[in-house]
Amino acid sequence: MGAWGFVSLAYGIVCGTLVVYWMFLKRRYRQAEAEVDRLRSSEIIGSDDKI
Amino acid sequence: MTQSKKRKGILGGLALVAVAIGLYWSLAVAPPDAYQGEVQRIMYLHLPSILTAYLSYFLVFIGSGMYLWKREKRDDLLAHAAAELGVLFTALTIIEGSIWGKPTWGVWWTWDARLTLTAILLLIYAGYLMLRSLIDDENRAASAAAILGIIGFLDIPLIHMSVYWWRTLHQPPSILRPDKVPWENVHPAMLTALTISFVGFLLLYFYLLSLRYRVGEMRQEIKALRLERGA
Repeated sequence: MGAWGFVSLAYGIVCGTLVVYWMFLKRRYRQAEAEVDRLRSSEIIGSDDKI
Repeated sequence: MTQSKKRKGILGGLALVAVAIGLYWSLAVAPPDAYQGEVQRIMYLHLPSILTAYLSYFLVFIGSGMYLWKREKRDDLLAHAAAELGVLFTALTIIEGSIWGKPTWGVWWTWDARLTLTAILLLIYAGYLMLRSLIDDENRAASAAAILGIIGFLDIPLIHMSVYWWRTLHQPPSILRPDKVPWENVHPAMLTALTISFVGFLLLYFYLLSLRYRVGEMRQEIKALRLERGA
């Protein structure tokens, strides 16, 4: 492998890993956000039922 | 859209722009090194990665210390989020170093003092994340992890000084050295590429940290809401 091959490999791995981690983190973020919304809305429905 | 989400979006956008400019400077503008040639361009990733990892472990150190002192959950959330990102950036540092080492030293890995201590740093904080998941009691897990987070930070001065204390294959620092200021030692175009790349990494780091911290906060909220509903 030539010098640019090593450079491309390093930059490719770093950019790829950071993009994959960002996508993974975004997914966790959206899932947690959806769960909070779901629990909050069911809490409001529950409190309405008590009234 | 909430203010917090807007701020995260702006930070993410700035990070993307800075990283793109950093990549352009590193790959197209900065000249090749007189001795190492094009392979030296890996340094524009390697140095910002390890400095970002050090910053992350400093935040783990601060968050852990504050948690043990004040027992406030937000400090533990910060330490946990920073540890995860620290592991990511340390792993990237080792991979970049290894790819640079093959054409420069002729080997992918050697048991050099700095490399070994950096690998130990990665293992300590990977252990920190494992420890948290192994202990069921949340407060006990946070306390145990905080102690490990503080002890682990002691490895960083050892890593920095290792090139002075032991005979190592890894070269001494070019930027953070006591006898010279960076612009006396590094070509201005190279120093610019390094600076832009570092700013890009920092912005990206704080963007990812804000997302990861918020995930931790929401998980706490979910637990509290589930408890409330169960009660």
